[in-house]
Amino acid sequence: MNSRWQFWMGAALFVVVMGAALYFPSLRRQVYKAKDITEKTAAEARRELLPPAPVNSGDPKVKAKMFWGSREEDGTLAPVTVELPLSKDPVLRAKQILNTLLAGPVDPEARTLPSDAALLEFYILPDGTGIADFSEGLATGTPSGIQSEQLAVDSMTRTLQANVPQVQQLKILIHGQEVDTLAGHLDLTQTFQVSMKEAATPAPTGVSVITAPIQKAIEKVTGAAKK
Amino acid sequence: MLDPAHGGVDLGARGTEGIHESEVVLQFALQAKQALEAQGFQVILTRQGNDNPSFDDRSARANAQRGAIFITLHIASTGLVGTVRTYVMTDFSPGSEATGLIPWDRAQAPFLGLSHKLGDLVQAEMAKRFRGSPPAAETAPVRQLRTTAAPAIAVEISSVVVQSRDDLDHMIPGVADAIAHGAAAFRPSYVVPGLPGGNPGAPL
Repeated sequence: MNSRWQFWMGAALFVVVMGAALYFPSLRRQVYKAKDITEKTAAEARRELLPPAPVNSGDPKVKAKMFWGSREEDGTLAPVTVELPLSKDPVLRAKQILNTLLAGPVDPEARTLPSDAALLEFYILPDGTGIADFSEGLATGTPSGIQSEQLAVDSMTRTLQANVPQVQQLKILIHGQEVDTLAGHLDLTQTFQVSMKEAATPAPTGVSVITAPIQKAIEKVTGAAKK
Repeated sequence: MLDPAHGGVDLGARGTEGIHESEVVLQFALQAKQALEAQGFQVILTRQGNDNPSFDDRSARANAQRGAIFITLHIASTGLVGTVRTYVMTDFSPGSEATGLIPWDRAQAPFLGLSHKLGDLVQAEMAKRFRGSPPAAETAPVRQLRTTAAPAIAVEISSVVVQSRDDLDHMIPGVADAIAHGAAAFRPSYVVPGLPGGNPGAPL
């Protein structure tokens, strides 16, 4: 092997190594970006596949009390009153209420349920047990911790209690299955009491303006129902 | 019995600077063990390394100890940084079986009163040391507590979302001290069924 050949081989190897060093970070960024897009698209696609919440624009608008996180007191819920077209049928009404809760308040910091979670189904047993079946997003997106998980469940039970009196207790399923915990702490093998919590709830201080995400959610499901 | 929650592939809450709940709670548990031993307790940890016993395995270890108390340690994802909350299992019916035995998934029910007392004593100590912490224990249906047949509480420190890991490390001695003082205050009132006169030397 002559020295000239060795020189060119070395130079070629150097160029390849330098090229790889420059290209790999960019490639890694592209892979991460593509992964994010794929995950987002999957979540969106799942949501699109869900049957639209049966909101009927003909339903009378009523003042619904929603419980989201309080900005004033850490780890507590605060009632927010919004005007929603709600069905008189308790199952449809519960779906509308929970979908509004999932749509979230105007302040993202007050959100209690993850934005990529979706309500797959809801039904009520004769004994007043409401069964809420959520997508995996509820389990994977709820911040892990006793306080955060309890806040998520309490926001559901208190909102249902305030708006759907037929629901006495709530059972939460994830994709049709009973799971041990919500996000590692809160026990989902049992039902959660829905009634009797309202007594401890302070009266709302005022009627809030309907928030943009809620309005958007209403328009979306109303539009889907009209089609 | 001290229970550093999570472990193994279950990292628990994940926060800034690569902080993992499963790793941090182990540090809290080791310091709490020393503080409790200084108060004369015998202490067993449900895990000493990066393994992840199941909820039932952890409860089973506690349930096998006569006169034990059970403290599971957690770091929250949320909450006011620098505060601590103690939780006791939500009230639920003890149920019963034809044999008279307590169902496994309701093992905590007969101990709820003692758990509330232990929780309030520990939380009162936390409130003295960590400003903004609630004065008394709260209730929550914590899965780990339900199957534990002993006075049992969950202690949750806020949070993994800190400026620096040092913010959590600075809390370790205070949390350990509060647990030890709370447990010591609880000891005289802990009467183990079948042992008249109580069991002040109860292993923890």
